Amino acid sequence: MKPLRKSSPPAVDRREFIKVSALAGGGLLFGAYLRFGESVAYAESAPIAETFAPNVFISIAPNGAVSIIAPNSEMGQGIKTGLPMIVAEELDVAWEDVTIVQGDLNSAYGRQASVGSGSTVGNYTPLRRAGATARAMLVAAAAQTWGVPESECTTERSAVIHAASKRRARYGDLVAKAATLTPPENAPLKDPKDFKLLGTRVPGVDNQKVVTGAPLFGIDVKLPGMLFATYTKCPVFGGKPKSANLDEVKSRLGVRDAFILDGIETLTPGVAIVADTTWNAFSATDALKVQWDEGPVAAQSSAEMARQADQLAKATPPAPLPAGAKAVEAAYHYPFLAHATLEPQNCTAVFKNGVMEMWTPTQIPASGQGLVTRGLGLAPKDVIVHITRLGGGFGRRGSNEFSIEAAAIAKRLEGTPVKLMWKREHDFGHDNYRSNGWHYFTAGLDGGGKVVALHDAFVKMQGGPGDMSAGGFPFIAIPGSQVQSSKLPPGIPTGFWRAPGDNGNVWATQCFVDELAHAAGRDPVAFTLDLISAVPAPNPAAGGRGFDPAKMTTVLKLATEKAGWGSPRPRGEGLGFAITHTNNAYVAIVADVSVTRDGQLTVKKLTAAVDAGTIINLSAAEAQVQGAMIDGIGAAWFQKVTIEHGAAAQTNFDEYPMLRMNHAPKLVEVHFIKSVAPPTGLGEPGLPAAAPAVCNAIFAATGKRVRTLPIVDMDLKWA
Amino acid sequence: MSKYTLSVNGQSKTVDVAPDTPMLWVLRDSLGLVGTKYGCGIGECGACTIHVDGSPRRACQTPVSEVGRAAITTIEGLSPDGKHPLQRAWVELDVPQCGYCQSGQLMTAASLLKQDPRPSDAEIDKTMAGNLCRCASYTRMRAGIKRAAELAASGISDKGGRE
Repeated sequence: MKPLRKSSPPAVDRREFIKVSALAGGGLLFGAYLRFGESVAYAESAPIAETFAPNVFISIAPNGAVSIIAPNSEMGQGIKTGLPMIVAEELDVAWEDVTIVQGDLNSAYGRQASVGSGSTVGNYTPLRRAGATARAMLVAAAAQTWGVPESECTTERSAVIHAASKRRARYGDLVAKAATLTPPENAPLKDPKDFKLLGTRVPGVDNQKVVTGAPLFGIDVKLPGMLFATYTKCPVFGGKPKSANLDEVKSRLGVRDAFILDGIETLTPGVAIVADTTWNAFSATDALKVQWDEGPVAAQSSAEMARQADQLAKATPPAPLPAGAKAVEAAYHYPFLAHATLEPQNCTAVFKNGVMEMWTPTQIPASGQGLVTRGLGLAPKDVIVHITRLGGGFGRRGSNEFSIEAAAIAKRLEGTPVKLMWKREHDFGHDNYRSNGWHYFTAGLDGGGKVVALHDAFVKMQGGPGDMSAGGFPFIAIPGSQVQSSKLPPGIPTGFWRAPGDNGNVWATQCFVDELAHAAGRDPVAFTLDLISAVPAPNPAAGGRGFDPAKMTTVLKLATEKAGWGSPRPRGEGLGFAITHTNNAYVAIVADVSVTRDGQLTVKKLTAAVDAGTIINLSAAEAQVQGAMIDGIGAAWFQKVTIEHGAAAQTNFDEYPMLRMNHAPKLVEVHFIKSVAPPTGLGEPGLPAAAPAVCNAIFAATGKRVRTLPIVDMDLKWA
Repeated sequence: MSKYTLSVNGQSKTVDVAPDTPMLWVLRDSLGLVGTKYGCGIGECGACTIHVDGSPRRACQTPVSEVGRAAITTIEGLSPDGKHPLQRAWVELDVPQCGYCQSGQLMTAASLLKQDPRPSDAEIDKTMAGNLCRCASYTRMRAGIKRAAELAASGISDKGGRE
């Protein structure tokens, strides 16, 4: 094993992880430095002398090197850079002095789940307090050393300053004294107006590793003597293996073992194949023949679901429209979607001396640990979860099947590390899909073009997120509006896909609002601004999460102004817009498209205006909105999972096209509203309004309404 | 199993693997060069793009038995110091999101810039369309290629590169 480095700050070598095994307020930091993927079970542990560690997130070495824990999972949203920036801001430390250390699963870190655009929202205040507390202790240490009042001391770039006596002490010189002090209860937080680091552009902390191919991701973990496994489940959801050609599989090159796993509460039954290389495991998997007990879901198909949805919607008809109202009706449908993270699901595990140690690309590490403790009867303390970088999340890795699959195989191979690798085909075939959905809208317009009634008969799969209520826009703008929600029978696993619910429902509702504006003979922006202004001001009891019409008005006006809304366009070109209130961020997007006479769509430009409260890292924030918009457009344009015989019909990217560079808009503008309000989520809010903006622009360009996704299935030719 | 002596990033490496093993897994599992990524296994996503004698190839579609003594370059060998103009531009513009596709994107872009030091938008679109980015970081990748072209033109180039 690699020798332990004592008193040596992590800043010296960014390639290493620090494993924190014991921490207490004001105490010493104990740790062992490990290379990527090394096992803590093999590592020795010893105190790192004289390091100031006022809480679990921060340690400062005598040479001034600052180590900050990044507690959450990096999947491209920038959280490994952004959360430590919050600590660094309040600590008033120079960013170049900071080394960021990925935290393992540890309840001391608080909210480690990276879902619901909630990592920043949930950690903002605790991390500010962590930084402010450490800063206050360093100030106290300096003040006591100098014999001056703390109130006369200021901080700046990793130093405490006493201006009156022109004295200055670097944090590193204060750690010995600071470590003897008791952390204060209520260290003052900065006024957000005084933020220096937050709101600036800070590049991702691991960028250099990414561009040089250094090991970072779950798939990159390699342990001594490690074997490689696949796990094959019944293509029909809910099915299980009865028997398989295990002897034949075991006789193949490099295969060490093959077995059926069943009877574990948290594990979907399947067939495990363990080999000496990934390729030999994959080749043996291709030769696997299984007799499946398919179960009842085999009767389900997308076609049958559409028939059932139609029936369910007809069973919840709208109330009669007010006398004299003009009826506007439209039916919208969106299909199942796969997450298709580019890094297929994987997990590495070793079971040794009663301890399961795991390296997991997961969005909710505690949930993976839970599946393992429940499934294998282990105590939480005996299931160690190291969080790796994730090759994309999008909600997929909030569920942790791969954790229990890897752990169940590792338990069987006791003492031997094993990396479970899903083939891409496994990944498409066993996703927790974005649910399909149907909206059957009926609205009434009065003689002045005002919406006087709105009814939505909504249908989706039972289970999972994405249900509708009349609590969102535009329903809250129209008194008496109604959403009646019906569910298809369960069977197809559905789950959290970037901006759950909103990713399909905002598309449908925002397209229908555009239809209403045109039916009323009004400019869609003016029409929508009127609807927004009809929403009552938010109830303070909603804790700042209710729909704020003033904020939405601001972003819609800004986006349409920046995009040149209202300028005349020739046939075949058009602007469309849409708005969304997602994860408490306010987003308006204008799409500028062209459609050739033969129906070729080009999205030329996207313009977004976003109120997401305080911006942590402007670079990451902008990238999230850019990427989310294009992600939303790509999904709406090209993607569809169809269910046939209770299984997903699409198995790889040749059957599930994704948007590439040649379809990406050339111009993408993101305008953030300056704000000192607490940050909202930002990984998801950029997505929902992009697709309806494009579909509304297609209508402006061609007069054709896209009411069924994906767009590519529709003929956009015009004459 | 068969033995193959390969030239990878300028070094001679011997591996003992099944002849049909794709270079993707030879690089990752046998040689520990994990920058080359598995995304689809069917040559659709581009995450495993490497250079074989200077031309971009899908490592998942390149069996080890077909490589012979051809010079293999992976992301780890794109530059000796991680300072290829594209790598500089990617860091400067904060291009990566999850970063999983970026090895392949960079290898494809590197061969594009080698052929055409000042590629047009159309040329960039055409060449890069073989590599998908699930995070859709296309806006910054396009800017990154143009920035790398500028850096290369201004003399900040990969003088020690192996190609």
